[in-house]
Amino acid sequence: MQNFGSNNDLDEKGNVMTEQPKIKVKFEPKPKQSSCPICTVEYYQQFFDIEQRDVYMRIRCSLLSWKPEFYQCVGKNPDLWGPLWISTTIIFILFAGGNLSRFLLEENKKHFKYEYNYMYVAVFIVYAMAFIIPIILGIIMKYILKSELGVFDIVCMYGYSLSVYMFVLILCIIPYNEAQWFFLMCGLANSTIFLLVNLWDFMKKNKQTALIAIPIISFNVALILSFKFYFFRLIYAVDD
Amino acid sequence: MEFEVQDNQANNSIQGVINLQPQVNQVQAQQQEIPIKQTDLQVSSTLEESVAVTLLRDLRQIGVKLRCVLVPTMSSNNAKELRNWDLWGPLVFCLMLALTLSLSGNNDDGPGIFATIFVLIWVGSFVVTLNAQLLGGKVSFFQSVCVLGYCVFPINLGALFTLFFSFFYLKMFLVIGCFLWSTYSAVGFMKQLIPEQKRILALYPVILFYLFLSWFALIV
Repeated sequence: MQNFGSNNDLDEKGNVMTEQPKIKVKFEPKPKQSSCPICTVEYYQQFFDIEQRDVYMRIRCSLLSWKPEFYQCVGKNPDLWGPLWISTTIIFILFAGGNLSRFLLEENKKHFKYEYNYMYVAVFIVYAMAFIIPIILGIIMKYILKSELGVFDIVCMYGYSLSVYMFVLILCIIPYNEAQWFFLMCGLANSTIFLLVNLWDFMKKNKQTALIAIPIISFNVALILSFKFYFFRLIYAVDD
Repeated sequence: MEFEVQDNQANNSIQGVINLQPQVNQVQAQQQEIPIKQTDLQVSSTLEESVAVTLLRDLRQIGVKLRCVLVPTMSSNNAKELRNWDLWGPLVFCLMLALTLSLSGNNDDGPGIFATIFVLIWVGSFVVTLNAQLLGGKVSFFQSVCVLGYCVFPINLGALFTLFFSFFYLKMFLVIGCFLWSTYSAVGFMKQLIPEQKRILALYPVILFYLFLSWFALIV
């Protein structure tokens, strides 16, 4: 920045040179008005406004599924951290554990062929169960059945209902048929009871709203059947 | 009339000062020194050098950043070095890992594994960084992707070593060691940027990311 000299100096033409006036200008970019607010990243910031203590409490609520305390845990603050990372953990356990379970059962370890398809199928099934199905159910419940719960409340609830499978699927690595069925049934019961107990207030309104129990139960049953018959299938050698 | 502006990255605005005093003196204007920017000189000189020199300089910068990331010391030099993020290093390590794993498998899944690792690294870094940002971390997006990419290097080493050993428990030991090294470096960088109560929420995805990659390195 040039300095034109102190006050009352004269320049060549005889004009008085004053200190140049400085105006501080701040340019701030106008906030972008998006036509699709749900498509922006900033919209989702409200769903990550939780602390690790809250996540721990919510997972604990979902594991003790018979107590209808989930809304007290969540309040007005549904989060997407839980659904996202619980489902990603389950995908990893399915991919690693499913193959490990087959490996343990394999007699000739050298002939073991690792199935990479487990990952793609796991991604499809788990993300569908954690996001697509609750979004559809949430939209039906909110706009057709007039529930007070928002779509993201249902997504949050479904995400945390899957948290029991994190532990169940690790136990399912044990390559015994009966043990696997037992653990999967426990997981199914826990997860379904959690969803039904927390939606009980909504379901007891009238006959139409009670029908929502049917898709909830059937999707959960389909989920564990896919776990058992695709990821943890046990193929025994046939004895002649 | 002249004005000076500065990019204020903290709140994404431009601040400046406008000098409204007109240039009265032509002579003064001619004598005015136009400051030559350092980068102009650099650009003209780098255009004339040989390709080998350019490549060596880039490789040296990758090496320097690698040392900063993998030997985590809390010096301010480290922090300054990491602020000049680049995506060449992550790309080199990602390609190396994907190639190693796709060629070492004795199966015809090679192209599938290559694509899976490549997508996993980039989408994984993207999602982990986005997660940290959404949790309120003060982390610059590409800087974080850069650091996560550089921390893939130990897993690269692990994958290369497992090519030469066939004893399973030794492989497992090596891969676990590389996984812990990667995770320790990445966590060391990221934990300073996240508030205390949300730290585990931001660091758990980092651990899961390196666990996925290490698992691939172990089983292929």
